[in-house]
Amino acid sequence: MRQAGAYSGLLCGGVSGRTGPHSLPLARIKKIMKNSGEDVKMISGEAPIIFSKACELFIEELTRRSWIMAIQGKRRTLHKEDLASAVIATDIFDFLITLVSSSESHAVGGATNVMEVETIDCS
Amino acid sequence: MAESDNESGGHTGNASGSNELSGCREQDRFLPIANVSRIMKKALPANAKISKEAKETVQECVSEFISFITGEASDKCQKEKRKTINGDDLLWAMTTLGFEDYVDPLKIYLHKYREMEGEKTAMMGRPHERDEGYGHGHGHATPMMTMMMGHQPQHQHQHQHQGHVYGSGSASSARTR
Repeated sequence: MRQAGAYSGLLCGGVSGRTGPHSLPLARIKKIMKNSGEDVKMISGEAPIIFSKACELFIEELTRRSWIMAIQGKRRTLHKEDLASAVIATDIFDFLITLVSSSESHAVGGATNVMEVETIDCS
Repeated sequence: MAESDNESGGHTGNASGSNELSGCREQDRFLPIANVSRIMKKALPANAKISKEAKETVQECVSEFISFITGEASDKCQKEKRKTINGDDLLWAMTTLGFEDYVDPLKIYLHKYREMEGEKTAMMGRPHERDEGYGHGHGHATPMMTMMMGHQPQHQHQHQHQGHVYGSGSASSARTR
């Protein structure tokens, strides 16, 4: 069983032997960086370290904003639709719209159908 | 060991919106779902639940985030005719793309990391100090290092009757075995 390093938890609060100073694997981050474009060839050693923390901040922000959407829907379970709503409501997440749009279109489509039915009933 | 750091898990097919990543192996395209899930839980109240689909979506979003920032940083490097993407390029890209709120915490994080690495290097680079502890006039190794290396300053019990301890004179150096 691997023991916690001496500095484990200094940077991100990891306390078990598994989390260590980085909560995300640096090698995987580097692979994703390299896969992001053919022109990405050389990556400095500290780039994945920065991304490790940046991704943590990003996940936390996206999750919190999605949670607000879930609460507005009087739910305590986070769904894909909540993420889609959070992305659409936040300017800096515009780059994710194509990624989440499929789930959001279902939700919007559903709402539209309900409105049409109500209109027919009223007339 | 339910949560493995080495397996991305979660996805079965190609993710929409990450076409540039679709050419490589599944586990190389996303960060491990266990790690992502752990960070998500940390941001939510204790009574919150997260659907599997939501975890997978965040997994995709994070990969997209990395690609988005890296792409911008890479463009900057190309314009400046540099081949290596460094930390400053990433921080610049984050500021440019609207994630300026991340920059200050990241600078602090990087500073702490560099300090930590510096101390590690210092420990590895001075084997004689590691052997002898910090309480013998070398004055380089810190109490933190000594504690980490599992050393107690040696020979202190011999000198305590004289009313002082050789070394740095800090409170921690006055401890007996």
